[in-house]
Amino acid sequence: MVTTEDLKMKLIDGLGLEDIEVAEIGDEMELFGDDGLGLDSVDAIEITLIVEKEFGVKIKDAGEQSGVFSTPNSLVAYINENK
Amino acid sequence: MRIYDMDTKQYVDFCKVENPITKVEQLSHALYCYENEVFDIIYDKAQPALRAHVKSFGEEFLKQDGMQFLYFTSGTTGTPTGVYKTKENSKKQAWALIDTLPKDMKFNRIVTTVPFVHIYGVDIGGVVAREMNIDVWVKENFLPEELAIEAQVEGTLIVTTPLFIKALNRVKKDVKFKNSYFLTSTAPLSTDDAKEFAGHYKSSVMQLFASTETGMMAYKVDDETVLRAYDCVEIGESDNMLNISSPFVAKRVLNKTIQDVKFPFQTEDIVEMLSEHKFKLLGRSSNLAKVAGKRISTLQIENIVESLENVECALVKVRKDEKALRDEVLDIYVESSVEIKSKDLKTALKKVFGSMHIVFKLYNNMLITKSSVGKKIGFKEKN
Repeated sequence: MVTTEDLKMKLIDGLGLEDIEVAEIGDEMELFGDDGLGLDSVDAIEITLIVEKEFGVKIKDAGEQSGVFSTPNSLVAYINENK
Repeated sequence: MRIYDMDTKQYVDFCKVENPITKVEQLSHALYCYENEVFDIIYDKAQPALRAHVKSFGEEFLKQDGMQFLYFTSGTTGTPTGVYKTKENSKKQAWALIDTLPKDMKFNRIVTTVPFVHIYGVDIGGVVAREMNIDVWVKENFLPEELAIEAQVEGTLIVTTPLFIKALNRVKKDVKFKNSYFLTSTAPLSTDDAKEFAGHYKSSVMQLFASTETGMMAYKVDDETVLRAYDCVEIGESDNMLNISSPFVAKRVLNKTIQDVKFPFQTEDIVEMLSEHKFKLLGRSSNLAKVAGKRISTLQIENIVESLENVECALVKVRKDEKALRDEVLDIYVESSVEIKSKDLKTALKKVFGSMHIVFKLYNNMLITKSSVGKKIGFKEKN
Protein backbone atom coordinates (compact mmCIF):
# COMPACT_ATOMS: atom_id res chain seq x y z
CA MET A 1 0.00 0.00 0.00
CA VAL A 2 1.52 3.29 -1.13
CA THR A 3 1.03 6.26 1.19
CA THR A 4 0.95 9.94 0.28
CA GLU A 5 4.22 10.33 2.22
CA ASP A 6 5.88 7.69 -0.01
CA LEU A 7 4.63 9.50 -3.07
CA LYS A 8 5.66 12.96 -1.91
CA MET A 9 9.19 11.75 -1.16
CA LYS A 10 9.48 10.23 -4.62
CA LEU A 11 8.15 13.41 -6.22
CA ILE A 12 10.57 15.62 -4.30
CA ASP A 13 13.49 13.39 -5.34
CA GLY A 14 12.37 12.80 -8.90
CA LEU A 15 11.37 16.35 -9.72
CA GLY A 16 14.32 17.93 -7.95
CA LEU A 17 12.11 19.95 -5.59
CA GLU A 18 15.10 20.50 -3.39
CA ASP A 19 13.68 23.26 -1.23
CA ILE A 20 10.37 21.61 -0.38
CA GLU A 21 9.74 19.33 2.59
CA VAL A 22 7.21 16.48 2.58
CA ALA A 23 5.22 18.31 5.28
CA GLU A 24 4.83 21.35 3.01
CA ILE A 25 2.90 19.39 0.41
CA GLY A 26 -0.70 18.99 1.51
CA ASP A 27 -2.59 15.80 0.63
CA GLU A 28 -5.15 17.89 -1.23
CA MET A 29 -2.72 20.39 -2.70
CA GLU A 30 -3.07 20.88 -6.46
CA LEU A 31 0.04 19.51 -8.15
CA PHE A 32 -0.36 21.63 -11.27
CA GLY A 33 -1.34 25.23 -11.85
CA ASP A 34 -0.70 28.47 -10.07
CA ASP A 35 -2.48 27.74 -6.79
CA GLY A 36 -0.66 24.60 -5.72
CA LEU A 37 2.75 23.11 -6.21
CA GLY A 38 3.07 24.90 -9.55
CA LEU A 39 4.22 21.91 -11.60
CA ASP A 40 3.96 22.05 -15.38
CA SER A 41 3.62 19.78 -18.40
CA VAL A 42 7.26 18.68 -18.28
CA ASP A 43 6.77 17.63 -14.65
CA ALA A 44 3.63 15.75 -15.69
CA ILE A 45 5.70 13.59 -18.02
CA GLU A 46 8.31 13.15 -15.32
CA ILE A 47 5.59 12.07 -12.84
CA THR A 48 4.33 9.37 -15.21
CA LEU A 49 7.89 8.04 -15.41
CA ILE A 50 8.35 8.21 -11.63
CA VAL A 51 5.06 6.42 -10.97
CA GLU A 52 5.96 3.67 -13.41
CA LYS A 53 9.50 3.24 -12.11
CA GLU A 54 8.85 3.56 -8.39
CA PHE A 55 5.40 1.99 -8.07
CA GLY A 56 5.11 -0.14 -11.21
CA VAL A 57 1.95 1.61 -12.40
CA LYS A 58 1.66 2.76 -16.00
CA ILE A 59 -0.25 5.89 -16.91
CA LYS A 60 -1.52 5.51 -20.42
CA ASP A 61 -3.88 8.40 -20.90
CA ALA A 62 -3.38 12.13 -20.35
CA GLY A 63 -7.15 12.43 -19.82
CA GLU A 64 -6.79 10.15 -16.83
CA GLN A 65 -3.87 12.18 -15.69
CA SER A 66 -5.68 15.50 -15.48
CA GLY A 67 -8.40 14.14 -13.18
CA VAL A 68 -6.75 11.49 -11.12
CA PHE A 69 -3.39 13.15 -10.89
CA SER A 70 -4.55 16.46 -9.58
CA THR A 71 -3.52 16.02 -5.91
CA PRO A 72 -1.27 13.66 -3.90
CA ASN A 73 -4.39 11.96 -2.50
CA SER A 74 -5.94 11.27 -5.90
CA LEU A 75 -2.64 10.13 -7.33
CA VAL A 76 -2.03 7.69 -4.48
CA ALA A 77 -5.57 6.34 -4.82
CA TYR A 78 -4.92 5.74 -8.53
CA ILE A 79 -1.60 4.01 -7.81
CA ASN A 80 -3.14 1.72 -5.18
CA GLU A 81 -6.09 0.86 -7.43
CA ASN A 82 -3.84 -0.02 -10.33
CA LYS A 83 -0.96 -1.69 -8.56
CA MET B 1 -5.06 19.69 -44.91
CA ARG B 2 -7.01 19.66 -41.65
CA ILE B 3 -6.37 19.97 -37.94
CA TYR B 4 -7.42 16.92 -35.94
CA ASP B 5 -8.21 17.58 -32.30
CA MET B 6 -7.22 14.34 -30.57
CA ASP B 7 -8.97 15.32 -27.33
CA THR B 8 -12.42 15.89 -28.86
CA LYS B 9 -11.77 13.43 -31.71
CA GLN B 10 -12.93 15.81 -34.40
CA TYR B 11 -11.52 17.90 -37.22
CA VAL B 12 -11.27 21.64 -36.70
CA ASP B 13 -11.25 24.34 -39.40
CA PHE B 14 -8.75 27.17 -39.57
CA CYS B 15 -10.50 30.15 -38.04
CA LYS B 16 -9.88 33.46 -36.37
CA VAL B 17 -9.77 33.03 -32.58
CA GLU B 18 -9.81 36.17 -30.44
CA ASN B 19 -7.86 34.81 -27.53
CA PRO B 20 -6.39 31.42 -28.46
CA ILE B 21 -5.57 29.43 -25.33
CA THR B 22 -5.58 25.74 -26.23
CA LYS B 23 -3.13 24.25 -28.70
CA VAL B 24 -5.92 23.57 -31.18
CA GLU B 25 -7.11 27.18 -30.96
CA GLN B 26 -3.54 28.47 -31.30
CA LEU B 27 -2.88 26.40 -34.42
CA SER B 28 -6.28 27.05 -35.98
CA HIS B 29 -5.77 30.79 -35.57
CA ALA B 30 -2.15 30.79 -36.77
CA LEU B 31 -3.00 28.82 -39.90
CA TYR B 32 -6.01 31.07 -40.57
CA CYS B 33 -3.63 34.06 -40.45
CA TYR B 34 -1.05 32.28 -42.62
CA GLU B 35 -3.63 31.23 -45.19
CA ASN B 36 -5.24 34.68 -45.40
CA GLU B 37 -2.00 36.67 -44.99
CA VAL B 38 -3.31 38.35 -41.86
CA PHE B 39 -0.58 39.73 -39.61
CA ASP B 40 -0.56 38.35 -36.06
CA ILE B 41 1.49 38.56 -32.88
CA ILE B 42 2.32 35.08 -31.64
CA TYR B 43 3.49 34.72 -28.07
CA ASP B 44 2.78 32.88 -24.86
CA LYS B 45 -0.05 34.85 -23.31
CA ALA B 46 0.41 32.94 -20.06
CA GLN B 47 3.59 34.95 -19.40
CA PRO B 48 2.52 38.14 -17.61
CA ALA B 49 5.75 40.06 -18.36
CA LEU B 50 5.57 39.28 -22.06
CA ARG B 51 1.89 40.22 -22.16
CA ALA B 52 2.72 43.55 -20.55
CA HIS B 53 5.63 44.06 -22.95
CA VAL B 54 3.40 43.58 -26.00
CA LYS B 55 0.74 45.81 -24.48
CA SER B 56 3.28 48.56 -23.81
CA PHE B 57 3.86 48.99 -27.56
CA GLY B 58 0.24 48.62 -28.63
CA GLU B 59 -0.88 46.28 -31.41
CA GLU B 60 -1.20 49.06 -33.99
CA PHE B 61 2.44 50.07 -33.53
CA LEU B 62 3.58 46.46 -33.82
CA LYS B 63 1.70 45.78 -37.02
CA GLN B 64 4.07 45.95 -40.01
CA ASP B 65 3.08 45.83 -43.68
CA GLY B 66 4.27 42.75 -45.50
CA MET B 67 4.96 40.83 -42.30
CA GLN B 68 3.15 37.63 -41.41
CA PHE B 69 4.02 36.96 -37.77
CA LEU B 70 5.74 38.72 -34.91
CA TYR B 71 7.31 36.25 -32.50
CA PHE B 72 9.16 36.96 -29.29
CA THR B 73 12.37 35.56 -27.97
CA SER B 74 14.25 36.38 -24.79
CA GLY B 75 16.83 39.04 -25.66
CA THR B 76 20.32 38.64 -24.28
CA THR B 77 19.82 41.71 -22.09
CA GLY B 78 16.73 40.26 -20.48
CA THR B 79 14.26 42.31 -22.49
CA PRO B 80 12.27 40.30 -25.05
CA THR B 81 13.20 40.79 -28.69
CA GLY B 82 10.41 40.82 -31.24
CA VAL B 83 11.14 39.01 -34.48
CA TYR B 84 9.18 39.76 -37.64
CA LYS B 85 8.73 37.00 -40.18
CA THR B 86 7.23 37.12 -43.64
CA LYS B 87 5.08 34.39 -45.11
CA GLU B 88 7.91 33.79 -47.59
CA ASN B 89 10.32 33.14 -44.68
CA SER B 90 8.08 30.37 -43.38
CA LYS B 91 7.14 28.90 -46.74
CA LYS B 92 10.70 28.61 -48.07
CA GLN B 93 11.81 27.19 -44.76
CA ALA B 94 9.07 24.56 -44.83
CA TRP B 95 10.20 23.40 -48.27
CA ALA B 96 13.84 23.31 -47.24
CA LEU B 97 12.88 20.96 -44.43
CA ILE B 98 10.60 18.84 -46.61
CA ASP B 99 13.46 18.38 -49.09
CA THR B 100 15.64 16.87 -46.36
CA LEU B 101 13.11 14.27 -45.23
CA PRO B 102 13.87 10.67 -46.24
CA LYS B 103 12.83 10.17 -49.85
CA ASP B 104 11.78 6.58 -49.26
CA MET B 105 9.13 7.54 -46.70
CA LYS B 106 5.67 8.84 -47.48
CA PHE B 107 4.08 10.94 -44.77
CA ASN B 108 0.34 11.21 -44.40
CA ARG B 109 0.08 13.20 -41.17
CA ILE B 110 2.02 15.22 -38.63
CA VAL B 111 1.56 14.58 -34.91
CA THR B 112 2.73 17.45 -32.71
CA THR B 113 3.48 17.55 -29.01
CA VAL B 114 4.42 21.24 -29.02
CA PRO B 115 2.39 24.38 -28.36
CA PHE B 116 1.88 26.99 -31.07
CA VAL B 117 3.14 30.07 -29.25
CA HIS B 118 6.56 30.18 -30.87
CA ILE B 119 8.17 29.69 -34.23
CA TYR B 120 8.95 25.98 -33.87
CA GLY B 121 5.34 25.03 -33.24
CA VAL B 122 3.80 27.28 -35.88
CA ASP B 123 6.39 26.92 -38.64
CA ILE B 124 7.31 23.27 -38.24
CA GLY B 125 4.14 21.84 -36.72
CA GLY B 126 1.73 23.99 -38.73
CA VAL B 127 3.24 25.46 -41.89
CA VAL B 128 5.13 22.29 -42.87
CA ALA B 129 1.88 20.31 -42.62
CA ARG B 130 0.12 23.01 -44.66
CA GLU B 131 2.76 22.94 -47.38
CA MET B 132 2.82 19.13 -47.46
CA ASN B 133 -0.98 19.20 -47.49
CA ILE B 134 -1.28 16.58 -44.78
CA ASP B 135 -3.34 16.64 -41.58
CA VAL B 136 -1.85 17.79 -38.33
CA TRP B 137 -2.89 16.00 -35.14
CA VAL B 138 -2.92 18.03 -31.95
CA LYS B 139 -3.39 17.03 -28.32
CA GLU B 140 -3.33 19.34 -25.35
CA ASN B 141 -1.27 17.02 -23.11
CA PHE B 142 0.75 14.15 -24.47
CA LEU B 143 2.21 11.36 -22.43
CA PRO B 144 5.11 9.24 -23.71
CA GLU B 145 2.80 6.19 -23.79
CA GLU B 146 0.34 8.03 -26.01
CA LEU B 147 3.03 9.30 -28.35
CA ALA B 148 4.34 5.74 -28.63
CA ILE B 149 0.93 4.61 -29.89
CA GLU B 150 0.77 7.38 -32.52
CA ALA B 151 4.35 6.78 -33.63
CA GLN B 152 3.54 3.20 -34.57
CA VAL B 153 1.17 4.40 -37.27
CA GLU B 154 2.83 4.25 -40.69
CA GLY B 155 3.63 7.57 -42.35
CA THR B 156 3.61 9.70 -39.20
CA LEU B 157 5.96 12.66 -38.96
CA ILE B 158 6.31 13.61 -35.31
CA VAL B 159 7.15 17.18 -34.37
CA THR B 160 8.39 17.07 -30.82
CA THR B 161 11.18 18.04 -28.44
CA PRO B 162 14.16 16.16 -26.97
CA LEU B 163 12.09 15.77 -23.79
CA PHE B 164 9.89 13.13 -25.46
CA ILE B 165 12.85 11.33 -27.01
CA LYS B 166 14.43 11.04 -23.55
CA ALA B 167 11.11 10.03 -21.99
CA LEU B 168 10.57 7.30 -24.62
CA ASN B 169 14.10 6.08 -23.98
CA ARG B 170 13.25 5.75 -20.31
CA VAL B 171 9.99 3.85 -20.78
CA LYS B 172 11.68 1.54 -23.34
CA LYS B 173 8.43 0.30 -24.78
CA ASP B 174 8.57 -2.94 -26.71
CA VAL B 175 7.41 -1.39 -29.98
CA LYS B 176 9.07 -0.12 -33.16
CA PHE B 177 8.53 3.15 -35.00
CA LYS B 178 10.24 2.10 -38.23
CA ASN B 179 7.64 3.73 -40.47
CA SER B 180 7.62 7.06 -38.63
CA TYR B 181 10.12 9.88 -38.39
CA PHE B 182 10.84 12.32 -35.58
CA LEU B 183 11.78 15.99 -35.72
CA THR B 184 13.06 17.72 -32.61
CA SER B 185 13.79 21.32 -31.74
CA THR B 186 17.11 22.98 -31.05
CA ALA B 187 17.34 22.04 -27.37
CA PRO B 188 20.22 19.66 -26.95
CA LEU B 189 19.73 15.94 -27.43
CA SER B 190 22.90 14.07 -26.65
CA THR B 191 24.33 11.70 -29.24
CA ASP B 192 23.90 8.89 -26.69
CA ASP B 193 20.18 9.62 -26.32
CA ALA B 194 19.69 9.87 -30.09
CA LYS B 195 21.61 6.63 -30.66
CA GLU B 196 19.68 4.81 -27.95
CA PHE B 197 16.37 5.99 -29.41
CA ALA B 198 17.26 5.03 -32.99
CA GLY B 199 18.57 1.66 -31.85
CA HIS B 200 15.66 0.70 -29.64
CA TYR B 201 12.74 2.04 -31.67
CA LYS B 202 14.26 1.52 -35.15
CA SER B 203 13.38 5.07 -36.06
CA SER B 204 15.28 8.27 -36.74
CA VAL B 205 15.40 11.69 -35.15
CA MET B 206 16.26 14.75 -37.18
CA GLN B 207 17.41 17.55 -34.89
CA LEU B 208 16.73 21.00 -36.28
CA PHE B 209 19.17 23.74 -35.43
CA ALA B 210 17.28 26.99 -35.51
CA SER B 211 16.45 30.17 -33.69
CA THR B 212 13.57 32.59 -33.88
CA GLU B 213 15.70 35.26 -35.56
CA THR B 214 17.47 33.02 -38.09
CA GLY B 215 14.80 30.42 -38.70
CA MET B 216 16.24 27.01 -39.53
CA MET B 217 19.96 26.97 -40.09
CA ALA B 218 21.05 23.34 -40.16
CA TYR B 219 20.16 19.80 -39.15
CA LYS B 220 21.64 16.48 -38.14
CA VAL B 221 20.21 13.00 -37.93
CA ASP B 222 20.42 10.54 -35.03
CA ASP B 223 23.89 10.42 -33.48
CA GLU B 224 25.61 12.61 -36.06
CA THR B 225 27.75 15.30 -34.49
CA VAL B 226 28.16 17.51 -37.56
CA LEU B 227 25.41 19.93 -38.52
CA ARG B 228 24.58 20.34 -42.20
CA ALA B 229 23.39 23.77 -43.28
CA TYR B 230 20.39 23.86 -45.61
CA ASP B 231 21.30 24.44 -49.28
CA CYS B 232 20.17 28.06 -49.35
CA VAL B 233 21.75 28.91 -45.99
CA GLU B 234 25.16 30.59 -46.20
CA ILE B 235 27.22 30.14 -43.09
CA GLY B 236 30.24 32.04 -41.89
CA GLU B 237 32.01 32.82 -38.65
CA SER B 238 33.31 35.82 -36.83
CA ASP B 239 35.30 35.32 -33.63
CA ASN B 240 34.23 31.64 -33.73
CA MET B 241 30.59 32.65 -33.69
CA LEU B 242 28.24 31.58 -36.44
CA ASN B 243 26.72 34.08 -38.83
CA ILE B 244 23.95 33.34 -41.26
CA SER B 245 22.50 34.65 -44.51
CA SER B 246 19.41 32.88 -45.75
CA PRO B 247 15.87 33.40 -46.96
CA PHE B 248 14.66 32.24 -43.52
CA VAL B 249 16.26 35.03 -41.49
CA ALA B 250 13.86 37.58 -39.98
CA LYS B 251 13.39 40.81 -41.92
CA ARG B 252 12.97 43.07 -38.92
CA VAL B 253 13.42 42.95 -35.17
CA LEU B 254 11.83 44.88 -32.38
CA ASN B 255 13.81 46.05 -29.41
CA LYS B 256 13.00 49.57 -28.28
CA THR B 257 12.31 50.39 -31.92
CA ILE B 258 11.69 48.34 -35.04
CA GLN B 259 14.83 47.87 -37.13
CA ASP B 260 15.74 46.06 -40.34
CA VAL B 261 18.00 43.06 -39.82
CA LYS B 262 21.51 43.38 -41.21
CA PHE B 263 23.01 40.46 -43.13
CA PRO B 264 24.78 38.28 -42.36
CA PHE B 265 22.93 37.78 -39.10
CA GLN B 266 25.38 37.32 -36.25
CA THR B 267 24.37 34.57 -33.83
CA GLU B 268 25.89 33.88 -30.43
CA ASP B 269 26.51 30.22 -31.22
CA ILE B 270 30.14 29.20 -30.94
CA VAL B 271 31.00 26.85 -33.78
CA GLU B 272 33.81 25.00 -35.48
CA MET B 273 33.50 25.37 -39.25
CA LEU B 274 34.27 22.16 -41.13
CA SER B 275 33.39 23.03 -44.72
CA GLU B 276 31.18 25.33 -46.74
CA HIS B 277 28.02 23.72 -45.40
CA LYS B 278 29.08 21.82 -42.32
CA PHE B 279 29.93 22.83 -38.78
CA LYS B 280 30.00 21.63 -35.20
CA LEU B 281 28.18 23.46 -32.46
CA LEU B 282 30.51 24.03 -29.50
CA GLY B 283 28.32 26.17 -27.25
CA ARG B 284 26.55 29.43 -26.74
CA SER B 285 28.26 32.67 -25.88
CA SER B 286 25.34 34.40 -24.22
CA ASN B 287 23.75 33.63 -20.90
CA LEU B 288 20.60 32.01 -22.10
CA ALA B 289 18.83 29.13 -20.43
CA LYS B 290 16.21 26.99 -22.07
CA VAL B 291 13.20 26.54 -19.82
CA ALA B 292 10.11 24.71 -21.07
CA GLY B 293 11.26 25.28 -24.62
CA LYS B 294 11.74 28.99 -24.21
CA ARG B 295 14.97 30.89 -24.01
CA ILE B 296 15.31 32.91 -20.84
CA SER B 297 18.15 35.29 -20.20
CA THR B 298 19.99 34.67 -16.96
CA LEU B 299 20.27 38.47 -16.69
CA GLN B 300 16.49 38.63 -16.50
CA ILE B 301 16.52 36.11 -13.64
CA GLU B 302 19.28 38.07 -11.90
CA ASN B 303 17.19 41.25 -12.18
CA ILE B 304 14.22 39.46 -10.61
CA VAL B 305 16.32 38.09 -7.74
CA GLU B 306 17.87 41.51 -7.15
CA SER B 307 14.42 43.07 -6.98
CA LEU B 308 13.73 41.05 -3.79
CA GLU B 309 14.06 42.90 -0.53
CA ASN B 310 17.51 42.64 1.13
CA VAL B 311 19.21 41.19 -1.96
CA GLU B 312 22.32 43.09 -2.90
CA CYS B 313 23.51 41.04 -5.83
CA ALA B 314 22.71 37.80 -7.65
CA LEU B 315 24.53 35.62 -10.13
CA VAL B 316 22.78 32.96 -12.20
CA LYS B 317 24.58 30.05 -13.85
CA VAL B 318 23.03 27.48 -16.15
CA ARG B 319 23.75 23.90 -15.14
CA LYS B 320 23.21 21.17 -17.72
CA ASP B 321 22.11 17.65 -16.88
CA GLU B 322 21.78 15.63 -20.05
CA LYS B 323 20.27 12.66 -18.24
CA ALA B 324 17.32 14.63 -16.86
CA LEU B 325 14.21 15.43 -18.90
CA ARG B 326 14.74 19.05 -17.98
CA ASP B 327 18.27 19.46 -19.10
CA GLU B 328 18.97 22.93 -17.75
CA VAL B 329 18.80 23.91 -14.10
CA LEU B 330 19.58 27.38 -12.79
CA ASP B 331 22.07 27.74 -9.96
CA ILE B 332 21.28 31.07 -8.28
CA TYR B 333 23.94 32.59 -6.03
CA VAL B 334 22.65 35.34 -3.76
CA GLU B 335 24.45 38.02 -1.81
CA SER B 336 22.02 39.43 0.72
CA SER B 337 21.72 40.62 4.28
CA VAL B 338 19.15 37.92 5.14
CA GLU B 339 18.51 34.43 3.83
CA ILE B 340 16.27 34.42 0.76
CA LYS B 341 13.55 31.77 0.74
CA SER B 342 12.82 29.70 -2.36
CA LYS B 343 9.13 30.40 -1.92
CA ASP B 344 9.68 34.16 -2.17
CA LEU B 345 11.76 33.77 -5.28
CA LYS B 346 9.17 31.47 -6.82
CA THR B 347 6.49 34.09 -6.20
CA ALA B 348 8.64 36.75 -7.88
CA LEU B 349 9.36 34.49 -10.87
CA LYS B 350 5.68 33.67 -11.19
CA LYS B 351 4.82 37.35 -11.51
CA VAL B 352 7.02 37.54 -14.60
CA PHE B 353 6.83 34.10 -16.17
CA GLY B 354 3.40 32.93 -15.03
CA SER B 355 3.05 29.21 -14.49
CA MET B 356 6.29 28.29 -16.27
CA HIS B 357 8.13 26.01 -13.86
CA ILE B 358 11.70 27.19 -13.53
CA VAL B 359 13.91 24.67 -11.77
CA PHE B 360 16.57 26.32 -9.66
CA LYS B 361 18.84 25.74 -6.71
CA LEU B 362 19.34 28.69 -4.43
CA TYR B 363 22.69 29.38 -2.75
CA ASN B 364 22.45 31.92 0.06
CA ASN B 365 25.25 33.58 1.98
CA MET B 366 27.37 34.25 -1.09
CA LEU B 367 29.62 37.09 -2.06
CA ILE B 368 29.42 37.92 -5.77
CA THR B 369 32.80 38.97 -7.09
CA LYS B 370 33.02 41.65 -9.75
CA SER B 371 35.59 42.90 -12.22
CA SER B 372 36.99 46.41 -12.09
CA VAL B 373 34.21 47.55 -14.42
CA GLY B 374 31.49 45.97 -12.31
CA LYS B 375 30.90 42.81 -14.35
CA LYS B 376 29.93 39.81 -12.23
CA ILE B 377 32.69 37.27 -12.61
CA GLY B 378 32.18 34.73 -9.86
CA PHE B 379 31.13 33.95 -6.31
CA LYS B 380 32.50 32.73 -3.03
CA GLU B 381 30.98 31.90 0.33
CA LYS B 382 30.80 34.74 2.81
CA ASN B 383 32.94 34.19 5.88
